Amino acid sequence: MNTETLIGAWVATGLSLFVYSFLYKDNPYFKLGEHIFVGVSLGYILTITYHEVIVKKLYVPLVEQGQWWLIIPALLGLLLLTRFLPPIAWLSRIAFAFILGVSSGVAIPRQLSSFILQQVQGTIKPFVTAGDGGSVWVSPATLNTLLLLVGVVSVLVYFFFSVEHSGAVRQVARLGIYFLMVSFGAAFGYTVMARMSLLIDRFDELILYASPAYGYATLVLLGAVVAGLIWWERGQLRP
Amino acid sequence: MHDLARRLLGLDRRWIFLVIAFGTVLPLLYPLGLPIRVSPEVRKIYDYIERLPPGGVLVLSFDFEPAGKPELFPMAVALLHHAFQNNLKIVGVTLWPAGTGLAESILSQVAQEHGKVRGIDYTFLGYAPGEANAVISMGQDLSAAFPADHYGTKITDLPILQGIRSLRDVHYVISLSVGFPGIDTWYVYGKEKYGFELGGGCTAVSAPRFYPLLNTGQINGLIGGLRGAAEYEVLLAREGKAIAGMDAQSTTHFLIIVLLALCNFFSVFTRQTGRTRYR
Repeated sequence: MNTETLIGAWVATGLSLFVYSFLYKDNPYFKLGEHIFVGVSLGYILTITYHEVIVKKLYVPLVEQGQWWLIIPALLGLLLLTRFLPPIAWLSRIAFAFILGVSSGVAIPRQLSSFILQQVQGTIKPFVTAGDGGSVWVSPATLNTLLLLVGVVSVLVYFFFSVEHSGAVRQVARLGIYFLMVSFGAAFGYTVMARMSLLIDRFDELILYASPAYGYATLVLLGAVVAGLIWWERGQLRP
Repeated sequence: MHDLARRLLGLDRRWIFLVIAFGTVLPLLYPLGLPIRVSPEVRKIYDYIERLPPGGVLVLSFDFEPAGKPELFPMAVALLHHAFQNNLKIVGVTLWPAGTGLAESILSQVAQEHGKVRGIDYTFLGYAPGEANAVISMGQDLSAAFPADHYGTKITDLPILQGIRSLRDVHYVISLSVGFPGIDTWYVYGKEKYGFELGGGCTAVSAPRFYPLLNTGQINGLIGGLRGAAEYEVLLAREGKAIAGMDAQSTTHFLIIVLLALCNFFSVFTRQTGRTRYR
């Protein structure tokens, strides 16, 4: 195994354990891990963005390939930075107006079509299916269609505040609450699943790095973090 | 019993963390081999790739960064294995700047395992800035969106992209998405306008958001979270990181359900016995 991989494994293990030490309580190791994470993430994104956007999409085409019209978006981009210079901050509005105009023009029709019109179309599917020879039957999918329709209508009624929620409206709105609760439950279940997946991945790697091939990185660093926490706790207790 | 219930409700939460830690580590060390059922939404993506002709072009958009790696890395690996096994050509892109290095390493690593040649069997175009505008740009003219690939080769010189001028010419697009931009960006600004078929893979947190798109056929399949990745590995009959994690996932879910049930039971119990005592 090469030295780079080994150093990477030790650093990854150490930082994971530093961050997990928060489960005991907030401590300096966690803070160190947190600050390194924020700094490295920001530095990495800045570097990548500089290389992939400023160099590849602007400098190379503009300087090396003579695509002079790229000066226009570059200038608009620079105008955004005038926000930091109060006397000429108003210039940034030109760039913002351009961004807002283009984004609205691009997004509104597409979003309307994708998330409203097509979703409405998907909600009002036919209950019965026509077969050969004019035969008509109710397919098992009808139950789904019905459930979807009842769910959408009852939730919409729940959020309809122009009418007092009493009598039949109250009952339908109440049904809407049940549908909402089921959807919140499903979303929460998926969230738990996602968080557990992150934990599993970390533990999977910590187990791998506990092997002799990685110099027992996990075991050594776990011992070091625990010892460090004990030392820190004793320091806290001293008057 | 009332005192015991109260004590358990006031239990230091660090004991619960410890229980979950053991519930995760033990199945990873000693796998249980619990069965994994393949869901229709995952099978649809598998079947669609199976039906693509050899040499067909699959655009795989790695719309995630290292934070999404635990769930989306096994998914990407499984999809790449499947595509390379079926001799599809892979064009990798990413809409996330921090995902560039990760995406490139996944693609080149799996390609190497299958003995595929860069530029002929696969390529990585790199990061496309501009989110929606990037997809629109690719839909209009791929060479305008990416004059060169990630490695600096002009894309007009790449054999893999001969005859592929825009997204209209590709056979399938799959977005592995950790958030926005991701599947919805590809659908709203890509599929609807340029008419290619779209599949999606996402983290479990965002999966419920995409089921309405699946239900209306706006995407043709969905691989949700580590569970979805494990299902894909089952279909491929290739055990990877996702299958290995499924036992731990099931065990932790079981523990959480038990803890939730116990907490609710003790909570109701203490409230009722408290009321009785008061009377």
